[in-house]
Amino acid sequence: MKIARILAFSRKEVLEIVRDPITVWIALFMPLVILFLFGYALSFDVENAPLIIVDHDKSAASRALSDQFLNTPYFRLVDAPQDERVAEHALMQGKARAVLSIPPGFGRRLKQGEAAPVEFLVDGTYASTAAIVSAYGRAIMYAYPNGSLQLPVQPEVRVWYNPQLRSRDFIVPGLFAVILMAFPPLLTALAVSREKELGTIAQIYASPLTKPEFIIGKLLPYAGIAALQLAMVLAAGFLWFKVPMHGSLALLTVLGLLYVLCTVSIGLLISTLVRTQVAAMLVTLIVTLMPSFLFSGFIYPIFTMPPFFQAYSAKIPTMYFVNISRGIVMRGAGLAEVWVNVAVLVVYTAVVLILATLLLKKRIA
Amino acid sequence: MAPPVIEADGLGRRFGGRTVLQDVSFQLQPGEVFGVVGPDGAGKTTLLQMLAAILRPSLGSCRVLGEDVRRNAERVQARVGYMSQGFSLYDRLTVAENIAFAAAIRDVPKAAFAARKAKLLAMAGLERFQDRREGQLSGGMRKKLALCANLIHEPPLLILDEPSLGVDPLSRRELWRILDAARAEGRSIVFATSYMDEADASDRVLLLRDGRPLALGAPSELRETARGHVYSVRSSTPEVAEAALAKLPDVLSFQRRSADEVRVQLRSADAPPDIGLHCRELKPVEPTMEDVFTVASADDAPRAALPAPERSASHEVLVGAERVTRRFGDFVAVDDVSVQVKAGEVLGLLGPNGAGKTTLIRILCGLLAPSTGQARVAGFDVARQSEEVRASIGYVSQKFSLFTDLTAQENLTFFARSYGVPSREMKARIAWACERAGFAATDAGLVRDLSSAVRQRLALACAIVHRPKVLFLDEPTSGVDPLSRFRFWRLISALAGEGVAVIVSTHYLEEATYCDQLGLMMDGRMIALGTLQALKTELGLKEARVEDVFLGFIARARGQAAAA
Repeated sequence: MKIARILAFSRKEVLEIVRDPITVWIALFMPLVILFLFGYALSFDVENAPLIIVDHDKSAASRALSDQFLNTPYFRLVDAPQDERVAEHALMQGKARAVLSIPPGFGRRLKQGEAAPVEFLVDGTYASTAAIVSAYGRAIMYAYPNGSLQLPVQPEVRVWYNPQLRSRDFIVPGLFAVILMAFPPLLTALAVSREKELGTIAQIYASPLTKPEFIIGKLLPYAGIAALQLAMVLAAGFLWFKVPMHGSLALLTVLGLLYVLCTVSIGLLISTLVRTQVAAMLVTLIVTLMPSFLFSGFIYPIFTMPPFFQAYSAKIPTMYFVNISRGIVMRGAGLAEVWVNVAVLVVYTAVVLILATLLLKKRIA
Repeated sequence: MAPPVIEADGLGRRFGGRTVLQDVSFQLQPGEVFGVVGPDGAGKTTLLQMLAAILRPSLGSCRVLGEDVRRNAERVQARVGYMSQGFSLYDRLTVAENIAFAAAIRDVPKAAFAARKAKLLAMAGLERFQDRREGQLSGGMRKKLALCANLIHEPPLLILDEPSLGVDPLSRRELWRILDAARAEGRSIVFATSYMDEADASDRVLLLRDGRPLALGAPSELRETARGHVYSVRSSTPEVAEAALAKLPDVLSFQRRSADEVRVQLRSADAPPDIGLHCRELKPVEPTMEDVFTVASADDAPRAALPAPERSASHEVLVGAERVTRRFGDFVAVDDVSVQVKAGEVLGLLGPNGAGKTTLIRILCGLLAPSTGQARVAGFDVARQSEEVRASIGYVSQKFSLFTDLTAQENLTFFARSYGVPSREMKARIAWACERAGFAATDAGLVRDLSSAVRQRLALACAIVHRPKVLFLDEPTSGVDPLSRFRFWRLISALAGEGVAVIVSTHYLEEATYCDQLGLMMDGRMIALGTLQALKTELGLKEARVEDVFLGFIARARGQAAAA
């Protein structure tokens, strides 16, 4: 292995990349576009859920309960009819997500210290939203004046790591993993298949450049671009979205570099197997982007999946970096907590690079 | 004696179930120049890739520079220079960067690099363009640069795949000058070409056809095998002589060499062609490499009489272009071109790749509007009446625009329908088109399984099924063997004889002799236009080959450009 040959090859690659400004712009801006798109659009928080209140009691107590609901940012009143059927119709039409129904005698029962039942109807079509809305409703009612709706057992539930349950703080660290899986390999896969398509690879075949030299020479510049992409998404995540950082930024950066080395290697492996740029693009999207969204724990937790899909998720490196990124950013975890994920990424990268070297043919056929 | 550079024994290659090359055996001595000559699909590229050890042989054995190409492929790859077909360098890198890269991956010592680079670039005439991007060079310059990149590590063996394909004649000469210098330094050279005349530049030649060796030997030895098969006929009425030759079953092909000379290739070497009183002089002549190839492939040539062209009665102007210019952004693809073609006339457009031939043809077909100037084809304006223009022309594009997953019959029916041939005439019209195009409609298989010479005739049949008044052929004979080319030109002449105006582009300069009018194109401009005889007279040449005429006009055009 000769360092001079590797450097010459990498240098040529850098010159080619720099002279194709459109590709450079796409490479640097697409990750940011996706980060902003998902950072803003994707949210599990519920605010301003349309609510209908049917108050048959019209007492001071029932009005106080209604105000309790409407004084939060979670609900807004869309109607206050006197007939349950009107409310149910609105629910069916989707005009309201929840109905609070207060029966006659609610105030009197409270005063007499009796149990005072109220009805809280929730539209369950969006299961996760429905769960959140009903939890909010329950919480408001438990808090109703001075524990008058008290239960015999009073659980004291506290949420750690993301006490406000802000979903952006959870989505952005996950996006780091997904974005760095989607874009760096795409660029790398196109780089080798472009040489195959244009025929420039023939002069590489007929030269003393060895297979490991070829792989390392191609890897270096694209890993460099991927490092830039990493820096950009981290900066946007912490400076623009202001995601609170509970761990070490240095550790996240170092492990991020390891992760992009892994994803760039996957791109290199794909490009040794396909002949054309179109094929490289399609295979890369199928192998990296699609499973990253579904099977990484980015949105859908892996621990709730059936065993088959848990095993499938374990084959995709995105999951490990989702664990690392959320661990460091949200829980303030250190190497002691995330080392298993790190070890898997190291082994993964080594295996992919060795496979790419072995499968590279240095021949037409 | 030094050990041979290449020892090939029964070398061959299969792709899938198909054998694309077999039975190649030869030895190459140090300093020898070896030409691999044959039409497209003959197996030239396959052979060269196996010699460069970038394609694994499936049959036979081969040692290159003393190493086995199967077992020690890396060692062979590291030592040879291999230039693939087309452009193999990086278009976004400059001339200097490309050379530096080639040197670095081939371990050229720093101390030697500067001197070698200076010498090579000077020889290629590229020193002034060191900072220009490779993609912005002309085709000829790109080829010369690729050659320099393959000589920078001073390889003992150079393997070149069609180095002069699509290159202008001037660059082609410069390319050969660089190769001559490399040979003088003792390097061995293996090159592939479909230009038969280039074979004469080599010490030994391997003629390949359909994946099999046809002949192997020194050019002089090979020419010896064709001796007695080639005659020169001098006649004051060459048309009549040609008509007589076409009727003789022993005649393989013939070419008009000048106003009164026809060259004939015969199947047998027993007797001169019997054409009676039509000739003034009949004598055997020294065979060329083209003649050798034609005679060697005689077994496959049909014995049927050749179609005889007649002279068209009409002289209506069917194609008229006036000061046509076409720009793509800043690039001027066609620059101020005016041309006229009458019924029954064949106009040959000659020029290297990128000269503007294809763009001009596309404009005249109504496929591309001219930026300025105007053109009328078959009485219609190409810009405003492109629908009418397209209905009255036939067009065979470079890659034969056939549907390769359909059968020949399905292709013919499709083209006939899309040109609005009425259903009741369909059968008769297709039969007519096939007969005129020399296509035997019995071929039942899919088009993708047909050879390129057969496909070419089918494409012609599809293009004339609606009886067009004007026929455009864009490099129809590219990479086709000489005999098939000859027969194709006979068909074209016959169509012209029926009153069709024909415009053909080609980069085989010798095909100019088949045309009534020649248009020489270079950098988008028509640098010369007229009959071959008139062009010779214009340059003050008496006996000259087409190549010399072309070179003369290139020199003149460059002189004018420099003066302006």
